[in-house]
Amino acid sequence: MTSQHGIMVKSKRGTTTASPKKSANTEITSETLCQGLESSDDDAPEEVTFGDSKNEALRSLKLALDSAKREKELLKEKRRKRQELFQEQKKRKLLPAEVLEEIESASLKKVKESSAAEEDEAEETKSLMKRREKKRAEKHTRNLEGNYTVTTMKGGAAVSFQQKSAEDFLQSRLYGPGRLRTTNNQMLSLQNKRGSQKSAAVQFVKKDWGKLQTQSIKSMFWVFLKCSCGIFLIMENKCEDNYAQNLTSEYFFIQIVLNQTKHAKKE
Amino acid sequence: MGEFVVHRVRFFDYMPSAIRAMAFNGSMQRLAVARGDGAVEIFNFADNYFQEKVIPGRSDRAIEALCWVRGRLFSAGLSGEIIEYDLEKLRPRYSVEAYGGPIWTISCNSQETLLGVGCEDGTVKMFEILEEGIQFQRNLDRQKGRIISLSWHPSGAQIAAGMIDMIRIFDAETGHATHRLLVERGLGTTRNTEVVVWSVAFLSNDTVISGDSAGKVQIWDAVTGTLIRSHLITKWDVLGLSVSQDESSVIAGTSEGTVVQFQALASTMGQENNQWVRTRTFKNHTHDVRALVHTDTAVVSGGMDTQLVVRPLLDKVEKNTKESALRKILFPHKSLVCCAKKAGLLLFQFPDHLELWRLGESSAKGQAGDRLPVMKNPEKLLQLQNKGEDHICCSAVSPCGSWVAFSTVSSVRLYKLQLSNGNISIKKVSKLPKELHSVHQLCFSSDSSRLFASSAQASVVVASLDQLQCKHLHTLKPKSGSSQPIHLLSASENGNWLAAAHTDGQIHVFNLHKLKLHCTLPVYSSCPTAIAIHPTTGHLLSAHADQQIFEFSLKLKEYTAWSRSLQREGLHPLWLQRDTPITHIAFNRNKPAHVFLHDAFMFCIIDQSLPLPQARKKLYNQMDLKTISPQKRIQESHAFKICKMFQHLLSVDLLDDSSLVVVERPLADIVSQLPPPVRQKKFAT
Repeated sequence: MTSQHGIMVKSKRGTTTASPKKSANTEITSETLCQGLESSDDDAPEEVTFGDSKNEALRSLKLALDSAKREKELLKEKRRKRQELFQEQKKRKLLPAEVLEEIESASLKKVKESSAAEEDEAEETKSLMKRREKKRAEKHTRNLEGNYTVTTMKGGAAVSFQQKSAEDFLQSRLYGPGRLRTTNNQMLSLQNKRGSQKSAAVQFVKKDWGKLQTQSIKSMFWVFLKCSCGIFLIMENKCEDNYAQNLTSEYFFIQIVLNQTKHAKKE
Repeated sequence: MGEFVVHRVRFFDYMPSAIRAMAFNGSMQRLAVARGDGAVEIFNFADNYFQEKVIPGRSDRAIEALCWVRGRLFSAGLSGEIIEYDLEKLRPRYSVEAYGGPIWTISCNSQETLLGVGCEDGTVKMFEILEEGIQFQRNLDRQKGRIISLSWHPSGAQIAAGMIDMIRIFDAETGHATHRLLVERGLGTTRNTEVVVWSVAFLSNDTVISGDSAGKVQIWDAVTGTLIRSHLITKWDVLGLSVSQDESSVIAGTSEGTVVQFQALASTMGQENNQWVRTRTFKNHTHDVRALVHTDTAVVSGGMDTQLVVRPLLDKVEKNTKESALRKILFPHKSLVCCAKKAGLLLFQFPDHLELWRLGESSAKGQAGDRLPVMKNPEKLLQLQNKGEDHICCSAVSPCGSWVAFSTVSSVRLYKLQLSNGNISIKKVSKLPKELHSVHQLCFSSDSSRLFASSAQASVVVASLDQLQCKHLHTLKPKSGSSQPIHLLSASENGNWLAAAHTDGQIHVFNLHKLKLHCTLPVYSSCPTAIAIHPTTGHLLSAHADQQIFEFSLKLKEYTAWSRSLQREGLHPLWLQRDTPITHIAFNRNKPAHVFLHDAFMFCIIDQSLPLPQARKKLYNQMDLKTISPQKRIQESHAFKICKMFQHLLSVDLLDDSSLVVVERPLADIVSQLPPPVRQKKFAT
């Protein structure tokens, strides 16, 4: 019974071990097992000589090394091909060498002294200045082959990039997002609300409420007033908008009252 | 007194610029203020806070810090240059590139031998201060991150540098950074943003005080590199710090507009454990306070609301005196408006352009309280833009309105105008005499035939104007050339005299027919703020920064009797307590006894025929005089007739047709155009 059992088991084992991933050794052992099965139980295991197994081992090792080497070489090849492709593309992108030379020489003549914010820029300009001294009285533009023109920058960027970025930093730290700022109008309205004497707003939010913006108070106001030091004839300008006129008159009336009370307070 | 037709002008859009930096020179008692447009102003604190000198700015100059070294003024800005100013010629003397990118701060050691600048690229550069300039010495160890603020230890051995998120302490000898003090970021959402150490101060007992953008004032021990105490004073930034001379008091300015004072007080009397305790809070500004100076007796602050506020400390000065009053300097102490009296034109001076306006007209007459129609609106005739980056230093228009001139630090320009029937044509006079350079004051003669310009070394250049030509006639030189610049020029109406006033108090009068010096007035201790020559009597009237008024007779070369009686009786105390100087004096042709003066808050007509006000009587008595009977009025009235109806005055002048021109600039108009303030939540709003 056991032998039958053993046969079944062994055959199963035989089938499972038929995968190619298994190492040569196990393959061999299973082969021998299968062979052994086919022959009989009573046979002694086959003799595998030391030399044979050694050779097998070496062979398998060599195979593994070879496959690794092959893969590496394949990758290398791939990389080399890609690099060549890139070089080719780059060469195509760049202009022909002669044009480059010409442009370089022209720009060296034409670059004026920049604001010299960076040290290397300063050095470059020093060298450029020397070259410029040698070549003088050139035209400011120069046409080259093709559609390229080299001209000087008029005036130059007055505010250098670094200065601009420093100003931006300052602006963002003080007035940037999240700094909780409000408008001057709001602040003046609050002051008005909490003040002892309320008056009209400085700037109306709705602009069409009688153009009482700061621009409109450019008109002249002439008001006739009598004081003991003289009769002041101050003539009032007629505003187009009656509403504004009324408001402005109110504003001045209040102002005059204020002044009088100020007088009273002082004396 | 008489009737006056008043042209009330509010179309001068004068906009002052924000205060960016300040530096105080204790020995000279001068404060230098740097504005956002690159202008530098010098205030004389010993002379009633008078604005002595103004160095005009440039459109590309952004000053971040100022520093006094002995009597020399240095500034550093985001353009990467250190500029030394010539305070006699009112222009930059030279500028040195620091090659470190934008410069954020400049500071001088207490021995006044080395100047340290903090740059954008993270280096602290040392410059040696020589007789004729500065020279680069070396860099300290370069840091990662920009250097925002610097402070020298009083011994000169160490430097504290405020950067982003940390403070570095350097050894000045070796240049190595010895300590790194890490500054905590804010709480909550502000934890994500870096904290900027806007200012540091190094004290002699080895403590470093820092103010940062998280609103904290922190006190560090520089020897061990540890934090001693932290005070959270505001939700916004602490933008500036200033330490008093004796190191007992520190003030911090915030974005809210408050200035907080800390004092080193012992917790119990007699003991030596001084701790920094927050004592006073001053709320004198509506916008950010960016510049602070702690003098011996006062706290001076300035910021984005363009006002310079001097708050004397009441434990250092006597209470309830003029010394202890809060001073706010809002407007320049020099007139920016020139009036062409015969033509009825106004010339407004802006930093980069000039505007010429014609006043409106009305023919109707009315009674008190009526509103009269205007026949012709005021119109803007001309806007003259200046080419180039320099700002305009001074400008003038001739009385007939046919010549306009202005000058910058580098050039003078003269234009001929032709106004005819609503058409205006302008021609530039191209060839100007070469003697016209470094001009600080311009003045036309009353018949528009001569142009007077102040020039270098206290001389005045006289040029003749003819059709389209300007030819040099003569250069008037006083005997002893004062080194200080001329800041006032006034020609008499009959063309005989020309008066020139210097910032050191000298006033020279030249005879224009003989073209030589006529006399020099006795030097008064206070600087003159306005001078004018009377058309009929030939007296020179001068108003000074301490509110004194003098009248000098040019024929007799001595003070007049009226002036002597004014000095004898003294001016009314309320007059002397005014805090803005008189910037213009004018006369009335029809009434030779009247003198028109004005300052920022009032204009006054002095009637020299009436008695002077006595100290115990009221000075501002116009409203009272209105109510009493005519007989009593004669008894009660005095020489000073003051009107406070118009504020804030930039100019008051009298036209040839006896009408007054009043140029006002309401403060609300300026405030509404400032940068945004912080949002503050107030109870019940």
